[in-house]
Amino acid sequence: MPDAISLRTAAKSGEAKASSRATLADPRRATRLVLAIFLGPALLVYCGLTAYPAFRTIFDSFFTIEGMDATFVGLANYRELMGDETFWVAVRNTFIWSFVAPVIDVATGLLLALALYAGVPFARFLRVAWFTPVLLSYVVVAILWMWIYNYDWGVLNVMLRAVGLGDLASSWLGDPNLALAAVIVTHAWKWAGFNMVVCLAAIHSLPKEVLEASDLDNCGWGAKLRYIIIPMLRPTLLSLYILSFIGKMKVFDLVWIMTQGGPLWATETVSTYVYKRAFNWNTFDLGYPSTIATVWFLVVCAAVIILNRVLGSRERLEY
Amino acid sequence: MAATLAAASGRAPLPRLFSRGILALVLGVYTIYQLGPFLWLATMSVRTTAEISADPYAWPSPLHLDQFRTAWVDSDFATYFWNSTLVVVGAVAVLTFIGAAAAHALARYRFRGNRIIYGILFSSIIFPPQITLISLYQILVDYNLYNSLFGLALVYISLQLPLTVYLLEGFFARIPQDLFDAAKMDGYGDLEIFWRIVLPVGMPAIATTLILNFIQLWNEFLFAVVLITDPEKRTLPIGIRAFMGDHFQDIGMIATGVMISVIPVIIVYVFFSEKLIRGMTAGAIK
Repeated sequence: MPDAISLRTAAKSGEAKASSRATLADPRRATRLVLAIFLGPALLVYCGLTAYPAFRTIFDSFFTIEGMDATFVGLANYRELMGDETFWVAVRNTFIWSFVAPVIDVATGLLLALALYAGVPFARFLRVAWFTPVLLSYVVVAILWMWIYNYDWGVLNVMLRAVGLGDLASSWLGDPNLALAAVIVTHAWKWAGFNMVVCLAAIHSLPKEVLEASDLDNCGWGAKLRYIIIPMLRPTLLSLYILSFIGKMKVFDLVWIMTQGGPLWATETVSTYVYKRAFNWNTFDLGYPSTIATVWFLVVCAAVIILNRVLGSRERLEY
Repeated sequence: MAATLAAASGRAPLPRLFSRGILALVLGVYTIYQLGPFLWLATMSVRTTAEISADPYAWPSPLHLDQFRTAWVDSDFATYFWNSTLVVVGAVAVLTFIGAAAAHALARYRFRGNRIIYGILFSSIIFPPQITLISLYQILVDYNLYNSLFGLALVYISLQLPLTVYLLEGFFARIPQDLFDAAKMDGYGDLEIFWRIVLPVGMPAIATTLILNFIQLWNEFLFAVVLITDPEKRTLPIGIRAFMGDHFQDIGMIATGVMISVIPVIIVYVFFSEKLIRGMTAGAIK
């Protein structure tokens, strides 16, 4: 093979390093050195700042840690956790949020996407406009909605009073019965645009022929939605549901700024409770919050695996 | 689409007009719901607190643009802004580099453990942040990186690394192998291939992750609030919250501070809305 020979001489005469000559036979192989250069920094960061801290948290969950002193307490933290009423309230709130809210999220996302797909005017503008809240930080969203929910001059109460429903005006974040719902609505407001955009992209990637065929068959929008669009979008909708679910299991920022878990633990989530126990209460023990974090870590992983199985998505989990 | 709709349902034009009107109304109301709060915030940011208490919904006149000067100079928002900029730009620059290098190795080379490394990196995307939060606090204290912007930037790199590798790996894997074979024949070394082929060819994907990471870290709150306590080192999200804690009634100034934090994001969004939307959805669809 004259080509190979000329190649080899080219490689030799050129600036190529030993590694490139060694891998000339199979360009998809690389020496360990090259792999280490490419993967090393990322793995170092991962091991040092994700894997090691995660293991350390799990390890710490068996200790009481006050300042520099760590005392081994075995499973005492776990026993205490089982009897911790605040923890169970937090779990209940987080579960309500994680299972209910994603349904709302995905449904609004799909409806909005369908509206844009149906060819309303200014669709491009609407898409960009609806997506805007996704980009605002939780701090901004929380402050905005605290004002919207304000009892005296918040938009919501002002509108209720304007249409003569002043009786319904409430202190939305101050009433234990309403606070969780109020925070959930805020969270849904922020993420609606994200679900819409994902659904829209998925609808656009559906095979055109199927939709055209359904038009020829005099298929109405309801039937089209029920028999064509939803079944074909199933993988996307499921992964959106799981994505949304994971987001809710972690929710912290919004709650922390809007209500700090109050009133009366009505909006306490597991994340805010961990934060409170670790950095906010004067208990000075990092062992117990580590226990909560460990348990919750296992719950989230298990929930994701189970959801993936139950919902029967053969897709691998995304995001 | 409208024509096919009419043909399909076979309805008279009048009800169709009516239903279109309803649709337009619903969409209009929805747009106000999504955009209104933000516009309201914008009007409040150029009004004084006294004006806002008089009527929270009035049109801003006169425009108090000096509110921005006050927030910037007197209320420390300049400090918060530059801290945020420093941390986020530093973290995103490093992140993009090491993320792209790892993604390239995972996408291009066959070696034992490739998929395992990918799987391990990827699975940490579902981790609840608390699992690392408490230990990271302890670790940073141990290494004197607690309360330092450098330490926060390191943590930020680790937070966004899995998503970055995931998005870039998907893109790099689609670069045709022929390009690499040709480069090898021209005598390029592995590092040169990365530098002179992967980075330029992958620029669109790299730009997407760059913008995505910028926005997510610019908005990050939890780790900042745990790892930074010194008022001089606050980033914008925790700076705003601290300001709100101290001046709960000063709504005009809070709104101005919030606007200062939002403006860079809006500028990025105006220029790169398509890229950004695509980047954020890339993870969810396959």
